Amino acid sequence: MKRADLVSGVVLAVFSIVMLIAVIPAQIEPAPDGYVSPRLVPNLAMIVIAGLSLLLVLKNLRTSVVEPRAREAVFSRPEMIALLKIAVVFAVSVGLFGLGAPLAAGIALIAGTLFLLGERRPLILVLMPAGLLLMVWALFYKVLGTPIV
Amino acid sequence: MDHLIIGFQNVLTPSTLFWVTVGVTLGYVLGALPGLGKATGVAVAIPMTFYLPPVAAIALLIGIAKGSAAGSAVSAILLNTPGEPSSAPTALDGYPLARQGKAQKALKMGLFASVIGDFLSTLVLIALAAPLASYALLIGPVELCAILLFSLTFIGGLAGRSMLKGLIAAAFGVFFATVGIETETFIPRLTFGLLELDDGISLVPMAIGVLAVAEMVIQGGNAQTLDREAAQIDDSARPEDRRVTLAEWRRCLPVIGRGTLIGAVVGILPGLGASVGSFLSYGATQRASKTPEKFGTGMIEGVAAAESADNAVVPSSFVPLFALGIPGSVIAAILIAALVLHGLTPGPMMFLEQPQMIADLYAAMLCASVILLIVGYVGQRVFAQIIRVPIRLIIPVVLFLCCIGAYMTTNSLFSIYLMLGFALLGFFARKLEFSFVTFLIGFVIGPNLELTFRQSLQILDHDPARLVGHPIALLFGLLTIATVVWISRSNNRLSARRAAAQSAGTDQTAEHSHI
Repeated sequence: MKRADLVSGVVLAVFSIVMLIAVIPAQIEPAPDGYVSPRLVPNLAMIVIAGLSLLLVLKNLRTSVVEPRAREAVFSRPEMIALLKIAVVFAVSVGLFGLGAPLAAGIALIAGTLFLLGERRPLILVLMPAGLLLMVWALFYKVLGTPIV
Repeated sequence: MDHLIIGFQNVLTPSTLFWVTVGVTLGYVLGALPGLGKATGVAVAIPMTFYLPPVAAIALLIGIAKGSAAGSAVSAILLNTPGEPSSAPTALDGYPLARQGKAQKALKMGLFASVIGDFLSTLVLIALAAPLASYALLIGPVELCAILLFSLTFIGGLAGRSMLKGLIAAAFGVFFATVGIETETFIPRLTFGLLELDDGISLVPMAIGVLAVAEMVIQGGNAQTLDREAAQIDDSARPEDRRVTLAEWRRCLPVIGRGTLIGAVVGILPGLGASVGSFLSYGATQRASKTPEKFGTGMIEGVAAAESADNAVVPSSFVPLFALGIPGSVIAAILIAALVLHGLTPGPMMFLEQPQMIADLYAAMLCASVILLIVGYVGQRVFAQIIRVPIRLIIPVVLFLCCIGAYMTTNSLFSIYLMLGFALLGFFARKLEFSFVTFLIGFVIGPNLELTFRQSLQILDHDPARLVGHPIALLFGLLTIATVVWISRSNNRLSARRAAAQSAGTDQTAEHSHI
C-alpha cells in the first residue's frame, strides 16, 4: 500500500494545485464588492487536500526509507477485468438509451452483465432481463401509476 | 406522548405496515448478501419512495436499514463473509457454530440479539433526541460551524487506518458540495457550463455510485471465491442444534444488555460506527467470560454480543442527526436526502415544526423492530438460501436497480453519468483505502458547514480574536486540534506495531525458508 499511497498522494497534490491555479479561477467568477468570495470554500478545500496529500507523500517517503515498500498489488487482476466488463456493458446500455431505446438499454445492461460475468444458461439470459423489466414496469406503470421513461 | 400514540395510529395501517415489511424483508436480503449493506440498500431505494406517502416512505427506508443490519449476520455465520464489516465479530463464533452444524441456532441468536439491541436503542433515541435538540437551539452559527468541523475531523480521523486519507476524503466531500449556483451571489461554481449542475450534485446518484456500483465491481472481481464458499454450507438435523436453549438464553441475556448499551453509546458519538460497537461488545464479553479461551471456537455469547451492539448502533446514530442535524454515520447521511425529500429537515427545529412527523417516525421504527423479529424468524431458512445464489446473478439485478434509482432523481441520463463517475471514484477510493463514508458525510454537511462558516466570518468580522466571546466554539476548536493530535499519535503507534509484527513475520518466514 505504501507505493500506492505515495502515488495517490502525488496525484492528489498535483490535482489540487491545478484546481487552485487554473480550474477554480476559471470556473468561479470573483464576488461583487461586499460579498464573501464564492471561491473561498472550494479554495480552502483544495488547500487542505494539497497540504494533506503532501503530508501523505512525505510520510510514505520517510517510511519507505526505513522499511522496504510493500509489494502487494492494490488492484487485483480479476477486479480490474470486472471493472472493464461492467464499463463496457454500461457504455453499450447508455448508448442504446441515448438512441431512444430504453427497453433495449435495460436488456443490454442485465443480459450483458450476466453474460460477461460468466452466465451461459440461455434460459437465465432470457428470463432474468424479461422478469426484471416486467417487474419494474408493473411497479411503476401499474402499481404506482408513474411512468419513469 | 400524545404525538407518539397518534404516531402509532398513523403507522399501524395496512398500507404503512406493508411498506415497513417490504423494507425489512428487502433489507434482510440485502444485508445477507456480502457487500450489499444498509447504506447501499437505502441509497438505491430512496428514488423508489418518491411516490409513497412520507410516513410509508421513511418507514420503508428505516425498515431496510434495520433489516440489513440484522441480515448481515446471515452471511457472517454461514459464509464467514460478513454482509457488512460490523458483522465481522459475529463471524468469529458464528461461523465455527455453522461448521459444527449449528447454523440455525447461531442465526436465531443473531436475530434475537439484533432485535433486542435495535428495539432498546430506538427507545434511547426517543428519550435523548428531543432534550438534546432543545439545547441545540441555543447554538449559533459560530458554535455550529465549530461543531461541524469537529465532527468531520473526528469522523475523518476514525474512518479507516489513515487519518490523512480520511481527512482528504472529507475535504473532497466538502469540495463536491460546493458545485452549483452559490446561494448568496448566484454565481455558478464549477458547473463547466452544464445546466444540470446548477442545482449542485445530487446525493442519490452520487451515493448509489460510490456505495453500490463500486461495490458490485469489486464483488464481480471476487465472484468465484464467494460462490465457492456458498457451496460449502452444512446444517445439522438435531433439534437442540437448531434452537436456542433456556440455558443459552440465561447466559446470553446479560451479554445482549451490555452489547445494547455499548452499541447505543457508540452510535451517539459521530463517526465511530457499528464496527467499533460490535468489536467493543465482543471484546468486553470475552473479557467478562469465565472461559475467554473458548471464544472464536463457537461460543453463542460471541454472536449475541456482536449482533446486539451492531444493531443498537443504527437507531442511536440518529440522535446527533435528529438533535443537531449532524449525520454521525453514512446511513444517517443518506437518510437526510430521504427525510428532506419527504418534508422533514433534520435538526433541532424539526421537533418544533413537525412533532407529529417525528412521532410517526419513532412509531415506525418501533414497529420495524417487531416486524424484523417476525420476518427474520419466519423467513430465516429462505434468507439462508439466498446467499447460495451465485453473485453473478445478483450483480445485474443490483446494477439495473442502481440505474433506475439514479435516473429517477432527475429523469435524465445525466444522473446516470454522475452515478458512473462517482462509481469509478468509489472503486479507486475503496482500493486505495480512502474512506467513502467520510467523503459522503463531508458532502452532506458541506453546505451547512459553508453557510455557518460564512456567517461566522461576518459575525466575527473576520477577526479570530472575537472567538473569545464564543466559548463553545472555542472549546470545539480546541477539541478538533486535540482530536487530530490524539488520532495521529494512536495511528502512528498502530502502524509501528503493525510494522514490527510484519518484520517479525518476515524474519520467521526467512528462518523457515532457510530450514
